[in-house]
Amino acid sequence: MQKFVPTLLVAGISLALTACMQSETQDPRVTINKNPYPSTYQVLPSTATLLKNATVLTGTGERLDNTDVLLVDGKISKIGQDLTADNATTIDASGKWVTPGIIDVHSHLGVYPSPSVESHSDGNEAISPNTSEVWAEHSVWPQDPGFQAARAGGITTLQILPGSANLFGGRGVTLRNVPSHTMQGMKFPDAPYGLKMACGENPKRVYGGKKVAPSTRMGNMAGYRMAWAEAEEYKRAWDKYNADYDAGKNPTPPARDIELDTLVGVLEGEIMIHNHCYKAEEMAMMIDLGKEFNYHSGTFHHAVEGYKVADLLAENGNCAAMWPDWWGFKMEAYDMTLENVAIVDGKPNSCAIVHSDSSSTIQRLNQEAGKIMYRANENGFSLKEQDAIKWITYNAAKSLGIESETGSLEVGKKADVVLWNQNPFSVYAQAEQVFLDGAKVYDRFDEKYQAKSDFLLGQE
Amino acid sequence: MKLFKSSLLALAVAATSTWANAESLAITNATVHTANEQGVLTNATILVEDGVITAINPSAANADKVIDAQGKNLTPGIISVMNNLGLVEVGAVSRSRDAGDKGASITFDPSLAYNPKSTVIAYTRKGGITSSVVSPRGGDSLFKGQTFYTDLSGEFDSIRVANNAVYVELGAESKGSRATNLQKLTDKLADFQAKLEKAKKDDKKGDELKRDEQVLKSLLDGEKLMVVYADRASELLNIIKLKQTFGLNLAIVSAADAVVVADELAKADVPVIIDAMQNLPSSFDALNNSLDNAAKLINAGVKVVITTGGDTHNMYQLRYNAGNAIANGLTPEQALAAITSTVAEVFGLDAGEIAVGKKADLVLWSADPFELSTKVEHIWIDGKEYSTQSRSDKLRDRYMATSDMPRAYTK
Repeated sequence: MQKFVPTLLVAGISLALTACMQSETQDPRVTINKNPYPSTYQVLPSTATLLKNATVLTGTGERLDNTDVLLVDGKISKIGQDLTADNATTIDASGKWVTPGIIDVHSHLGVYPSPSVESHSDGNEAISPNTSEVWAEHSVWPQDPGFQAARAGGITTLQILPGSANLFGGRGVTLRNVPSHTMQGMKFPDAPYGLKMACGENPKRVYGGKKVAPSTRMGNMAGYRMAWAEAEEYKRAWDKYNADYDAGKNPTPPARDIELDTLVGVLEGEIMIHNHCYKAEEMAMMIDLGKEFNYHSGTFHHAVEGYKVADLLAENGNCAAMWPDWWGFKMEAYDMTLENVAIVDGKPNSCAIVHSDSSSTIQRLNQEAGKIMYRANENGFSLKEQDAIKWITYNAAKSLGIESETGSLEVGKKADVVLWNQNPFSVYAQAEQVFLDGAKVYDRFDEKYQAKSDFLLGQE
Repeated sequence: MKLFKSSLLALAVAATSTWANAESLAITNATVHTANEQGVLTNATILVEDGVITAINPSAANADKVIDAQGKNLTPGIISVMNNLGLVEVGAVSRSRDAGDKGASITFDPSLAYNPKSTVIAYTRKGGITSSVVSPRGGDSLFKGQTFYTDLSGEFDSIRVANNAVYVELGAESKGSRATNLQKLTDKLADFQAKLEKAKKDDKKGDELKRDEQVLKSLLDGEKLMVVYADRASELLNIIKLKQTFGLNLAIVSAADAVVVADELAKADVPVIIDAMQNLPSSFDALNNSLDNAAKLINAGVKVVITTGGDTHNMYQLRYNAGNAIANGLTPEQALAAITSTVAEVFGLDAGEIAVGKKADLVLWSADPFELSTKVEHIWIDGKEYSTQSRSDKLRDRYMATSDMPRAYTK
């Protein structure tokens, strides 16, 4: 994102030169810092590691038996058979499975942490239907013990989202699942921001209950459209300011609006939409809404009725992040089918994801994916482990815009790797070791690699 | 004429289903997990007549229907507890919720609101669950009401026992102090005990007892189970004391920090009903939640019932939770008991094991009952076979069908 700044500066200078004929003197150009809370993430100490004779699921649809994986300098260095490496820590992975680090696109760890106390209930700024100005990262409590538990379940990257009380809940942030005493220390360097939107029952219930808009689904749609219309205007004002400045004029910059900055980030393609949306007819409208205002409608979260519009999702390049089986807690979650993920996944160019939205199931996304694979195979599908792993690795990375860096085991990508004691889609599967950028961050059998939150120190 | 025909058909159907109820069944060549001291029987035959297991390995299995299990696993039907099955169709739809009532008290009987046609029931059978102890959500009173025991047949007569336990909630309070509820409960029992003793002394008969007093009496007589919700270790010790003082038949549900007082619970023979998947310090009462708590408690001699926390709609996954408990230290036999025979023992139910004379609630599994890849092949409740097909399957079939017409025409 920062790379745009120098380009703009260069353009500014050259245009300023051509504008020398004009006599107007220019004030310094006003620009918006798009990364004011930058990542300070540091890779943990690591050695080269060679995993020998594993069953490897690459995350790109392949299964490689009796295969070695070499991690060097934080990257996947080699994948193949009979690999050797000097000075590498060698792990006998015979009978064990190796997968990419697991990615959860929908978590509230840190913003709704354990213990669940009022003082830490920081996930929903439920005071206005549009709170695009709030950023989930500013609520993250890095001491949430849930981060450690998720790491023991193989989670290496996760997106923390605001809740779904509002039409626009605010920005989400993608974190590396390393222990840190600051949020910046966990922040995934240069990952795009997400914007949480919410369809359906939640916003209309929260605000309808307060006798303010929205109180209906049509009120929800009106709320989104008015916000995007305003964002377009705000963007036009900045574009005009920059164009005038480039023309050598000395324009007055538009008043800064933190809420609209986020929406404009979406319109400019820098911020990705993450839309809490259950129902077929609402997803179809949200896709059209994106077209109306010229942005991409992104990933649908929960999408309990994703199977009803599987073609539409695939044709429009939308990912859908789903549970295997949650249902019945609301009317919009009533039409659940256990094959939802499999049906969405079955379309060409689809992007099916299994997410948690839970501090418990984030620890077992492998089992969540397993449930789907087995139920679907009982009902006409022929899914394999190499297919199911994509729902919690590569497709999740794609949804977050980080698939060029992580989400699959490919030479040159980040060495985010999980070593499982057996087929990860078994109820008995456990992550034995977890690597993040090649550094061991968890070991089931070595307490040295089991982090503990400040909160739990000294508790009995 | 036509009318006559269809009523004949109706008669025939009715007759068939009556006959089917009484149909005898033999399951042969099964790996039978009895969930009792008989352990696992291989190549075994189970004979079922009139909904009851009448023989194990009889010399001859003469039955109306014979199922060859081909060596697969047969277990007792799983029993789920402390959920709102049949009381809530959609959580956020107020008029489909009947588990709670502001005015609910110790006599509140939610079985009167049970809906055996709830879509949750057929779906839950996918998890091999054949019966359930359903609990009230209650109201302002610390007595949340009474549980009832139902099978999962979805028939109108599926409630097996109404009012089988009293549910009490102690524990942390967002307003006020947890001390008040414990004090109220203790006083209530003590005052009523004193009243009974005085009546006895005055040689008065018990027949003038009010309805709520009758329930209290059955608790003090140890006839009726009292299920108490609490988490913090110090509070669990208080509850043990309550049992000892009043001679109660008592179990503790949730019991997050039970491991801290495992020996005391074992010694006092107080069973715990836990969600074995809880491993986060969800509150200051639950700092010792851990995936290996089920194993630690059972190995310390505590009777453990495993249940699913949270939403009733997904309690079908109880067997997976038991499987995770196995991955974290339980033996498969211990895990099976924690969702079948121990449940029956704690709640006093006629089910939960494969033994002669027990209700024929049985599940035949495609493989390991706890494994994600395994499915229910047959499920029998009261000796009658039921389907695991639910609304979820209908929706899948509709949206996977190919048709030129809108989906609404695919039924």
